[in-house]
Amino acid sequence: MTDKVDVVVIGAGLAGLSAAYFLADAGIETIVVERGDFPGSKNVTGGRLYLNPVRPFFPADFWNDAPFERPVVKEKLSVMAEHSSTTVELFSEKFRAEPRPSYTILRAKFDQWLADKVSEKGAFIIPKNKVDDLIYDGARVVGVKATDSELLCDVVVVADGVLSFLAEKAKLRAARDPHDYAVGVKEVIELPAKTIEDRLGVSAGEGAAQLFFGSITRGMVGGGFLYTNRESISLGMVVGIEALKQHQPKVEITELMELLKARPEIAPLIDGGSTVEYSAHVIPEGGVRALPQLVGDGILLVGDAAGLGLNMGITVRGMDFALASGALAARAIRDAKAHPSTPLRSTQDVAPFSAVLLGAYEQALRDSFVVKDMQTFRSMLDVLDNPRMFSKYPEAISSIFEKMFWIGDQPKEKLSSTVMREALKHFGNLDAVQDALGLLSV
Amino acid sequence: MEIIVCLKQVPDLQQIRIKRETREPVLEGAPFVFGAFEKNALEEAVRLREKHGGKVIALALGNAKLKDTIIEALAMGADEAVMLTDPAFAGGGSAGTAQALAAAVRKIGKFDLILMGEGSADNYSGQVTGRVAELLDLPQITYARALSVEGNRVRVTRDLEDALEVVEAELPVVVSATSELNTPRLPPLTAILKASKKPIKTFTPADLGLAADQVGAKAAVVQTLSNLAPEQERKQVLFEGDADKAVDELLKALQKENAF
Repeated sequence: MTDKVDVVVIGAGLAGLSAAYFLADAGIETIVVERGDFPGSKNVTGGRLYLNPVRPFFPADFWNDAPFERPVVKEKLSVMAEHSSTTVELFSEKFRAEPRPSYTILRAKFDQWLADKVSEKGAFIIPKNKVDDLIYDGARVVGVKATDSELLCDVVVVADGVLSFLAEKAKLRAARDPHDYAVGVKEVIELPAKTIEDRLGVSAGEGAAQLFFGSITRGMVGGGFLYTNRESISLGMVVGIEALKQHQPKVEITELMELLKARPEIAPLIDGGSTVEYSAHVIPEGGVRALPQLVGDGILLVGDAAGLGLNMGITVRGMDFALASGALAARAIRDAKAHPSTPLRSTQDVAPFSAVLLGAYEQALRDSFVVKDMQTFRSMLDVLDNPRMFSKYPEAISSIFEKMFWIGDQPKEKLSSTVMREALKHFGNLDAVQDALGLLSV
Repeated sequence: MEIIVCLKQVPDLQQIRIKRETREPVLEGAPFVFGAFEKNALEEAVRLREKHGGKVIALALGNAKLKDTIIEALAMGADEAVMLTDPAFAGGGSAGTAQALAAAVRKIGKFDLILMGEGSADNYSGQVTGRVAELLDLPQITYARALSVEGNRVRVTRDLEDALEVVEAELPVVVSATSELNTPRLPPLTAILKASKKPIKTFTPADLGLAADQVGAKAAVVQTLSNLAPEQERKQVLFEGDADKAVDELLKALQKENAF
């Protein structure tokens, strides 16, 4: 006899764990199958988790014992030219106030903590097991196939991450288009807490986040990032896969990463540190247009598997989307489970856990900040997918500041004249005006 | 036959790294598992049960997270589990651990065979088999690479590296397993699911009739003074300049080190 449970969640990342947490909370028998050695072992973030969007979903005291690294109180944005850079730094008391808006995290630790919360709620997490395929009854998904065993269930929550082969097998998504994905590499560089605080200019226990744009990606869409953890710095780089594919001459992201580390702006920040982790991951960046079909009969997609990620230029999100999508998926399943006992309004029969019922998840997601933000920033990708953004303008901005601050052996002209002339030189053309309009549209 | 398998929960050694500055192991974030030899012991127990019938009890020592780790033993085929998770059991070393295990075995009462790993994955003192056998006044057979049971007797091939010794003893007996004994099974999903429903008991020192100074650090007879990775000297030679030349120099240097 084949075993049956209510719900099988595939993947113990933030989306899967969030779904399992709320399913178990609703008294629904839930199994989470994770292919890694433990939850978080295969998961990577830059990373920072924005908490404000997801607080409403969770109990107020939920985050009290979360293994956060540091709250981000300082935001830095660096525009990198070939031999110069300009950095904008925001320090705000607003960002220091409780509840803190965002924290840096390391996933191996964070996901294990979340997994413990899920287990406490009563869901059963099974690591070291890979789901290879789905079991169908007609078009309806009724279970999962793993090595040497099959497990039946009412609903499968697909949370197997960005490359989600199961979403493809379930025909909820077409084959992947490289244009919709970026690749990221990250080093975790260990340094004493005091050193990190001194170098980034933050108080004990507080943290900074820094994004880098410009020549470091050689005109390709992408950028660098730096996040402070308790006793390490996460430094990494993200580049669009299509851009990387097209780039001539060929370049590997690992080479760009080495060059980033060697930049005189960055090298002193990580000097003396030891790299304790090197990871790489694919990131969904297709935005709202690349969203797959989110539900089918007996199946729904959450988190990266659903393509829920957003590059907003100066902020990059995905983990908050994952947590929210998991919570919304759990709600829809709970409601679908309660449904058969309530009279149907339509004359048409609605099968239990059918796409019609689970469609409530898709609607809820569209009504939530997740799809709304993706909608609002939908043209960001077009704006960013423009080599001028990563080469010409960074050079121009740095050049203006260079001239403003430079004292040479010649008399210095008025600042206004310098700025005017440089601005006209770099931005007084049709391309630049169009690019500016593009930015304004976002 | 009734078989008790002793298991020690340890941090997954593959997930532990050494902090360069202090040479200390970083255990944070490492998941807990059972040692490899203990899995051989458990596998053998399950195979014996499959052949002769009876029951396999997993007797495990560990921390509060043992309830997650124990699932693996139950999924591999143990029928029930006894957990020793009281913090008072911690830090007992070989002597304290053996005291606790022997007391738990007495409490379980009925058994024909006790199986354990040849050594734990973390300390590898290899003493617990002998100590438990002594405390229970039972014969011990160490380093088993083959094992069979006929009626009331067990026959074991002992792996002595340069020699194989075949011995026999009357049950009950304590046997330690080597990695050559078998290949532990990987439990399928459904077995893991069923494992979560198998009976699990937890014994405290009081349940076992052990006083405070008979368990944990107070029962330890060897104190660990430090636990550091050996110092590693790296030569850190960099060959720079013309690639062809640098490769030649590198080759020469490697030859000098007898690397080939």
